[in-house]
Amino acid sequence: MAQSKPLTRLTDSRVWRSVFRHGWPDNPLDRSLTMTSNIFFHLHPVKVSHKSLRWTYTFGLGIMATVLYSVLVFTGILLMFYYVPSVERAYPTMKEIQLSVPLGQFTRNMHRWAAHGMVLVVILHMARVFYTGAYKPPREFNWVIGVVLLLLTLGASFTGYLLPWDQLSYWAITVGANIAGYAPVAGPVMREILLGGTEVGQDTLIRFYTLHIALLPLSLVLLISVHLWRVRKDGGLAANDVPDAE
Amino acid sequence: MNDAPMNEEIFPKGTGKSYALVEMMRGESPMVGKGPEKTVFSFPVVLLWEILILLGVTLALFFFSLVKQAPLDAIANPQVTTDPAKAPWYFVGLQELLEHMHPTLAGIVIPGILVLFLVALPYLDYSREHAGVWFSTRRGKRIAGWTALYAVVAMTAFIVLDNAFSMRELLRGAAPAWVAQWLLPSLILALIVLLPVAVLWRKGASVREIMIALFTVMLASAVVLTISGFLFRGPGFEMYLPWQMPDGYNPWNDF
Ligand code: HEM
Repeated sequence: MAQSKPLTRLTDSRVWRSVFRHGWPDNPLDRSLTMTSNIFFHLHPVKVSHKSLRWTYTFGLGIMATVLYSVLVFTGILLMFYYVPSVERAYPTMKEIQLSVPLGQFTRNMHRWAAHGMVLVVILHMARVFYTGAYKPPREFNWVIGVVLLLLTLGASFTGYLLPWDQLSYWAITVGANIAGYAPVAGPVMREILLGGTEVGQDTLIRFYTLHIALLPLSLVLLISVHLWRVRKDGGLAANDVPDAE
Repeated sequence: MNDAPMNEEIFPKGTGKSYALVEMMRGESPMVGKGPEKTVFSFPVVLLWEILILLGVTLALFFFSLVKQAPLDAIANPQVTTDPAKAPWYFVGLQELLEHMHPTLAGIVIPGILVLFLVALPYLDYSREHAGVWFSTRRGKRIAGWTALYAVVAMTAFIVLDNAFSMRELLRGAAPAWVAQWLLPSLILALIVLLPVAVLWRKGASVREIMIALFTVMLASAVVLTISGFLFRGPGFEMYLPWQMPDGYNPWNDF
């Protein structure tokens, strides 16, 4: 209550009030508004069951996947400042990132290990959700969203694998794309759509790049948001539904 | 320090709002059947929990990235195939499967069935009983353990035997190619997958228990195939012991 004049002037200002729509939390109404108008509570209920916080229930895997995704966006944007998706320049810019960009090698390391880690963590998260039976109603649809997230994660990782344009990536993508070519009837067409041609080349690189830096990450944030929102809308984690006797 | 009377705290004066439009409806709220004593405030408890995971994951990545460098091979050369040419580790299990059957079966049909199984799963097993409990019951846990062991043994045997006495080679000339490439591998895999299901069925297992068996066979087989493709395949995608790879090939460099 005892605030100095300049401070009150600041907190009463049009700009301040446009950001914080409530007053000082010194009365019950403003105290609850402080909480409920906070973005944190857009994703979380005010209170959660202590069961859903038990480490051995989730092992934190869903949050880990979210964190890894954020690390990938952050380090990926840094790499984008230098990387050029052309057959002539991709490999030289990778060398440049490693040799002359400050912390370039380190940023690339973070991006690569986070990508491998995310694939692993998402698979483990799926296994945890399965074995805890958390896909049962009312969470069926969130499980289906999860399956799409798994496929998007694999796609993001696979398209990124080509970008260094070294022997390792070139032949790994060739092997992977050949698998798509084995589909009956549509196989050769699917392979050609994926590669933008009959073999891995410039058209493949730009396709994979666009998928990797735009389409797949955007689809991922969108679906991760829906996924997390659904966790809340489905009544929190399935552990909450277990009667206390068990 | 709040000394406003209780009713004022619940119905604060002068907020310009004293009614809410509410409607009665059937259904459960997330809090049905739970007393408030069993809950904790998300803020700050959940927030701290999340920050802890954020810091843990970031630190682990940070230190790993300090000591282990991301690989960069020679520049891509479409003229020169690497030997072996391996898919990334999460697809190398499929590549291993390709060695044992028709590529359409290994590369398209089986992955397609797996994705369909995953999508259909919650609509096949929709009983809400035991949701939110690891393995549902003690019996579920035993089923998971035994089917995991069984699948690891069965898939390893399948890979090793088919590698030693290739069906493709044995039946060459004796039967049409589709027998060795399509029919036999499908039958063997179907047998591996359905055997535990049949056993459980006869014991009157629940849908959930059968799903535990199916999912475990899938997961354990994927692990075996991935390890085999990643660690035990060397030049020419031939099978070697990881510590006896020829030409100084080190599978770990393929990350
Ligand atoms: C990008 C990938 C994913 C992210 C970022 C993600 C994130 C999360 C988070 C943060 C939670 C809260 C509980 C926890 O931490 O375990 C959660 C729960 C859940 N996830 Fe995921 N998830 C992903 C992929 C998947 C996949 C692949 C599946 C299944 C196929 C799935 C199915 C579910 C279900 C059903 C729940 C509710 C679990 C419960 O009620 O106990 N998610 N997810």
